[in-house]
Amino acid sequence: MFRFAPYVFKGLWRHRARTMLTVSGAAVAIFVFCFVVSIQEGLDRLTSNEDAQRTLIVFQENRFCPTSSRLPEDYARQIEDIPGVKDVMPVQVWTNNCRASLDIIVFNGSPPEKLRNARDLTLVSGDWGEFESQRDSAIVGRKVAARRGISQGESFSIGDITVQVAGVFSSPIPSEENLIHTNLEFLQYRRGADAAGVVTQHEVHLTADADPDVVATAIDEKLKSGPVATTTRRKGAFQASTLSDLLDLIEFAHWLGYACVGLVLSLVATTTLMSVQDRIKEHAVLQTLGVRPARIFRLVIAESGLLCLFGGLMGTSLALAILGWGSLAVGAEGVTIAFRPSLQLALMGTIVSASVGLLAGLVPATQAARTQIVNALSQP
Amino acid sequence: MALVEIRNLSKQFSKGDEVIRPLREVDLDIHEGDFVSLMGPSGTGKSTLLNLISGIDKPDQGTVTVDDVEVTSLSRSQLADWRAANLGYIFQTHNLIPVLTTYENVELPILLLPLAKRERQQRVELVLEAVGLSDRADHYPRQLSGGQEQRVGIARAIVAHPKVVVADEPTGSLDNKTSEQVQVLLQRLNQELNITMIMVTHDSEAAQIATRQLQLDEGKIRELSSDERATAQQVST
Repeated sequence: MFRFAPYVFKGLWRHRARTMLTVSGAAVAIFVFCFVVSIQEGLDRLTSNEDAQRTLIVFQENRFCPTSSRLPEDYARQIEDIPGVKDVMPVQVWTNNCRASLDIIVFNGSPPEKLRNARDLTLVSGDWGEFESQRDSAIVGRKVAARRGISQGESFSIGDITVQVAGVFSSPIPSEENLIHTNLEFLQYRRGADAAGVVTQHEVHLTADADPDVVATAIDEKLKSGPVATTTRRKGAFQASTLSDLLDLIEFAHWLGYACVGLVLSLVATTTLMSVQDRIKEHAVLQTLGVRPARIFRLVIAESGLLCLFGGLMGTSLALAILGWGSLAVGAEGVTIAFRPSLQLALMGTIVSASVGLLAGLVPATQAARTQIVNALSQP
Repeated sequence: MALVEIRNLSKQFSKGDEVIRPLREVDLDIHEGDFVSLMGPSGTGKSTLLNLISGIDKPDQGTVTVDDVEVTSLSRSQLADWRAANLGYIFQTHNLIPVLTTYENVELPILLLPLAKRERQQRVELVLEAVGLSDRADHYPRQLSGGQEQRVGIARAIVAHPKVVVADEPTGSLDNKTSEQVQVLLQRLNQELNITMIMVTHDSEAAQIATRQLQLDEGKIRELSSDERATAQQVST
């Protein structure tokens, strides 16, 4: 088959404009497809990773937006007494936009000493000591820092909040890198004196043998008699619930992804069919020279496969590059979904491209292989 | 024993309500080394006979046997394999692959054979030298003249060392001078390499170079006698 590689490549190059247009069309469609897949991957990471399953969020009952949840800070002491609870971190959440947004800024205010133990954060610049000692300091996630051009040593203002950036951090959890962590008291007092002793939520870390759902039920039961009733869920479920409106859109975006794949199929099939119809006589000549119909079939399939693969690789590579450098995320109500490149995404883009290319070539290849030699040779 | 044996060969076509029978129970033997020209009025079935011998068409009746292989009983894939190894085809309109160079066009048939790259290269270079186009190996068909294209077609037809070469009007699209060059080349290949040739032509001058001249008329084949050939030669000069 490789002996005929020059024929295949030169055949594609023969109609350069048509080939380029098809490849670029496939690239764009696969690019969109990869983006759609990356959103789903981001959502899966957010709701299914270990942190999402082994951490509980205690939130005010029947509240959804962070600004509306007001829990007593001292609930933490009561929660700590429940079997299965390793540590409790009170968190005050502030966001610049409760609705869905691509440029959401989320502040998490928590006790600095608890933050360092509770979250897997690595400072890429700056100093923990400065963050822990200075009340209006903050450490900024790498992705939000890149998106907003924030560096260590600067001050950053949004709304009526101004913080001194003590450092930039990275995290193995992509969504973490879209957060800004500050001191709990700082964020509480920004909201006014009546916010003292009040937090948005409690983050509960469990012991290794604890059943998350059992502990969650126990927490709500215990706090039922307190001043504010609570709803406690696994972090993944809490985040999924918070993003429920976005989830509907993400689900719809799936169909967009499928449509993109269908578009590529149609585009490549059309181009290949046109190419076959231009070369009916040529295929008859090849058969006369001794090329089997099955080989003609494979040559056409190779053409369509290559068209789609080139376009798919371009689109996938571009998507991976933008996802890697773009620091993109979408969020709502204080929860963010980070878009990241991944090996799985790269493989999926490549495999889908190759598969669609093979599929697109089936009808044109069958037509080419069934060329009636005598009739085709008599064509001008 | 004949290299090509045709027995009781018939073929008919439907054209609307009309049934055309260009070949009716044709019998013919062609021996190794023969150079056979086949002439006849237009539409009498010359090309049809050539297509049946090459296996690119199927007869309604009868058999074609080439070197003990009954071509008419082979499947489509088997026929392709058989043609690759045993048959060379020279088209009237050259039918070179436009995206391939002269070298690549000539090499095409032997890509289908189990030959190493070095041997393929040697064969291609040899046949290009035989047709006088060694210096055009890297040229594309659009860069060649009509005569050169036909010589590439001839080189392509013989590169696989076929048992039989069929030529369908090989000089049909060429001017007189180029036709003569091609005729000389075909004659030389037949005489020097003992290649069995079957050539369809309407050109009586081209037919003269053959060792046997056949006439196809009303579905039947007749071989011209020496006197008839001599008379035809005198008329053409």
